[in-house]
Order: sequence, then structure tokens, then C-alpha cells
Amino acid sequence: MSVSRILAVAERVLRQLRHDKRVLVFMLLLPAIAMLLFGYSFSGDITDVRVAFVDEDRTELTESILESLQEDAAFEVTVLDAVDDPEKLLLDEGYQAVVRIPAKFTSLYYAHFAMGVATSAQGAIDLTLDESDPQIANTVKMGLADAAMDLGEGGPVEIETRELYGVEVRFIDGFAPAIMGLVVALISTVLTLLSIVREKVDGTFSRIWVSPVRRAEFILGYVIAFGLVSLIQSLVVLTVGISVFHILINGAIAWAFVCVILFAVGSVGLGTLLSALAQTESQAIIFFPLVIVPSVLLSGMMWPIQAIPRLLRPLSYLVPLTYSNRLLRAVMVKGLAPWQEPIGFAGVLVFVLLTILLASSVLRQSAGERE
Amino acid sequence: MPEHTTTFAAQSLTKTFGSLRAVDDLSMAVESGEIYGLVGPSGAGKTTLIRMLSGLTVPTEGIARLLGARMPSERRTIEHRFGYMPQERAVYRDLTVAENLLFFGRIYAMPRRRIVERTKELLSLMRLDGHGRQRADRLSGGEKQRLSLACALLHEPDALLLDEPTIGLDPALRREFWNHFHELNGRGRTILLSTHYLHEAEWCGRVGLIQRGRLIAEGTPEALRADAASRSGVPNPDMEEVFLILTGSTVAGGVS
Repeated sequence: MSVSRILAVAERVLRQLRHDKRVLVFMLLLPAIAMLLFGYSFSGDITDVRVAFVDEDRTELTESILESLQEDAAFEVTVLDAVDDPEKLLLDEGYQAVVRIPAKFTSLYYAHFAMGVATSAQGAIDLTLDESDPQIANTVKMGLADAAMDLGEGGPVEIETRELYGVEVRFIDGFAPAIMGLVVALISTVLTLLSIVREKVDGTFSRIWVSPVRRAEFILGYVIAFGLVSLIQSLVVLTVGISVFHILINGAIAWAFVCVILFAVGSVGLGTLLSALAQTESQAIIFFPLVIVPSVLLSGMMWPIQAIPRLLRPLSYLVPLTYSNRLLRAVMVKGLAPWQEPIGFAGVLVFVLLTILLASSVLRQSAGERE
Repeated sequence: MPEHTTTFAAQSLTKTFGSLRAVDDLSMAVESGEIYGLVGPSGAGKTTLIRMLSGLTVPTEGIARLLGARMPSERRTIEHRFGYMPQERAVYRDLTVAENLLFFGRIYAMPRRRIVERTKELLSLMRLDGHGRQRADRLSGGEKQRLSLACALLHEPDALLLDEPTIGLDPALRREFWNHFHELNGRGRTILLSTHYLHEAEWCGRVGLIQRGRLIAEGTPEALRADAASRSGVPNPDMEEVFLILTGSTVAGGVS
């Protein structure tokens, strides 16, 4: 055993690391990024849940309910004059809850307590709730109950809750679509990346480019392979989800598969893009956490985006899984068609087009600057 | 294919990487039916020249032609007709031997039955019989190199560009590779290959000596030897001596 040989080896390894700037930068940045993201994400309270407030009574009492809702940081309250169909507001306008106070609510409320008669009709606040994200639904329920308690008159206010999809959605129901997207994104991105980098390292890439294979064919080959893989992965997630957790599937499952495959295509594109930045397999591995960490933390997978501090929220909208989550939750939990969740659908489509187009120009460069 | 046409041609080819002139105003031509060796030390520009001829690298200046087509812009017209063996043992390590050949056969649009036939032929030619179902990363270095050559030969190309095909092989295996080359050449294939083993120049029909991106001498091995002998006075120089004399690396008589 020789200490000097051990030190020589250690020094050599450190020198090698120093020569690889990418590894170096990443080694320093990743712990910081992960610490910041985890720290912020876990300590965050839910804020900015969009609530529509419709006051048809307009009294001091209803004003005070509105005020306490507005003071609650959890909510971003929009006051509307009237509402015909609260469900339409949820579906089309992106509100997560509609609070409607019917006319005569105040007089009925006071009459009820003045009479002290339990049987007399009591006014009720009408709450229509998008319960597809259970954490948000709970925040709204609790926030509204708090606001009604603050009236100070001592009497309980009745809240009549109508759930948009008519079912109690549990955390796991909204989690399954996210897991599906995450697994598909990870496997497709990471394996595409690794496989293309291997082609570069082993020299099979040059064999491909002198052969009749075109860039588009090359990418499509990967797309088909990982499209199939993602289909199988989705089936596994669904099988486990349904048989073990009895997850709720409201929608047409065929749409879910279409969306998952679409997302896999974008992920293949992303993997191809990243492959341009890596010349060796160890450089490629560096990108794995770069794909995993933001997806898990920022996509609304573990906790709603509203639970992420406002400063970090724009980052969420740069994470592809955010859109996949919206889309797959809409399709699987809410039972909508993909285009009925325009933001998620458009996000995934843009992701696919952008990465595939960029990937094909990136491949041109990797091919040894031909043409 | 008509006889005596030019298979590989470089016309004032230049490739610069930053300030480095990897290939410097180089002109050469390989006629159909020849076996031509680019000989020179590592870093002389052999690989860059071969990559320009194969269309993988775009020349900075000059024209590269393969089977008459300008590379890379016209490569589509001839890509079925040439085979390329890169310097790396470029096979898919996580595929079996037969799967590698199947893939390369399929991207050249060969019918499956033909691929199976050719696989059998090539495995026995390369003495890889019985290895068909073995993963490529389980092969020895020499076996992997034979598989790599088989991949380049699979679709029966007229023209072969082989970049250091014998690098790292033991002398016996290197001989065997050269037997393959001569046999292929005998069946009408045109071969352009590179090597930094100077003595392999003896086995080429014609040799181009390359140094620092330039073609410094060209001719049959006999002609090059005669030239070197008359310049230096060294009788019967071997190829290493020929190279040293013709590159001016050593003064006459200084060759041991």
C-alpha cells in the first residue's frame, strides 16, 4: 500500500475533472439548484388559486366575506357581476372555484338566527369547485369556511358545494397521470440521449451518415421506438394504478395514450437536442438530473403549481411535464378531450414541434458538419 | 461499371480546423480497380481526407469526388455503391454480431433473405462463424474489427473507403485482412485505405505518402523504393526508410 500512489491517482482524477468544464460547472450548480428548489417547493403555501366571486346580494355581510377572501393570499379573487353557468367559468375561463352568494342570503341569514329556529330556511353560499386537484379543492373549501366564520355573528354559514366532475378526487388520482408523464419523459429523453452519444463515441454515427439513412428517418426511428416503449409504460402505470390504488379514470383512455405518445415524441426530441451538448457518455449522464429534478419539483406533480413561490412559478412553465400533467389530468380525471385543455395541449404540441425541429438541425451538426 | 474511371478524386482539397491545415491543397486520384494506400504517421491528415471523400466532412476548399459524384452535395446518387469503415470499431456493442449486420443490411434496403445469405458468407470469410448470436461487446478487439469490416462489405459496394482497417491487429491478423483486401480487389472492388504501418505500403498497388496534410510522394511501392534509393544511395530501402528519405526526415546515409 502506497500513500503516494493513492494520492497520485486522486490527483489524476481531480485533474481529469478540471479538464471537463461541463462536469465542473454541473457539480457545483446541481447541489445549489436542488437545495433551492427543494427548500422553496416544500415550504411553499398554496397561493393565487383563481376564484370567481359573484355577489347577487351585495350587503355589508357579503362584502365582509369578499374582503376576507381577498385578504387570503391563497386566492386571487375576481369579482364578477353575474354568472349563468359556473361550470362554464371553470372549464373555459380557468377558474378553480366559483363562489356565488345568492340574493336574499343576508336577510335569510339574520332571520334564521333572529328566529333561532332550526327549521327556518337559511341562505347558503353556492360553491362550484374544480376538484381535479384535491389539494387546491381543499384550500378553497377551508378558505371559504374561514371567510364565513369571520363574520363574527357566531352563526354558521351553510356552504353548498357542487363538484364539477361529480366525484371526490384523491391525491393519487391526479398523481397517476403525472407519474405516467414523468416516467415516459425520463426514459425517452435519457435513453435517446445516451444512445445517440454512444453512436458518436463508437463511430456508428458516421456509418449511418454515409448510408442512405436521412436525418428525419433517424429521428423517426427513435420516435417510433420510444412511442412504443411509452405506450407499454403507460399501460404498466395504469395497471398498477387501477389494481392497487383504484385510481379514477373518468375519460376515454385512448386519448390518454395519444397524449402520452405525443409527449414521448417531444422527449425523444429533447434527448436528441441534449446529445449535441455531450461528447462522452459521462457527460450525457450529467444531464439526467437536469431532466428529473425540475420535472419532479416544478411540474405540479407533487404539489400544485400554486404551492410554488411566485418567483419560481415562471420556471414551471418552462418544464414540459407541467403541460403534460395538465393535459393528462384533464383527459384522465376530468374526462375531457385534449383540446378542451388548451394550455396543456398547446404546450405539449409546441414541445414536440420545437424539439423535433431543433433536433434535426442538431443532428446535422453532430453528423460532422456535412451539407 | 465502365473500366478506367476515377473512383476517388481529390482536387486541391483543403480542410482547416481553426489554424490547423489538416489537409493542405491535396490532389490525388484512384482509378477503378486499384488498391491504393494512404500511408503516413498519425495526425498526417489521412482520416480527414477519407472523411471528405466519404462526404462526412465538408472541404474548406477544393473538390472531393466519389464515383464521379461531388461529395457531399451529390452523395445521394452513389451512397449505395460505396462501403466505409471508420477508424473506430464502429459496431453497436449492445447488439449481437448478426443483429449488427441485419441493421446495416436493412438501412441499405437489402432484402432480408439476402442479408441472411451475406451474413453467413461474411461470418465464414471473417472467421466469425458461431459468433452470430454473440453480443459485439463480448468480442475480442480483432473479432470486433472483423465485424466492422463485414459491416462495410455487407451491401457489396464497388468502392471501399477503409480508415486504418488494420490498426491494433496482431501481425497474423493483419496479413489475413490484407488477403481479404486483395481478394476483394481481385473481384473488381476499388479500395482506398489508410495505414500508419509503413510496411503495409508494400501490399498496395499504389501508395500515397502523406505528411502534414500534403501528398509528398505517390507511386507503386517499387517506384517509390527506386526513387528513394536513387536520392539517398541507400540500396534496397524498406518502406520505413523510403518514408524517411522521401519526407526528408533524415539525411542520406543516416538511416539505420
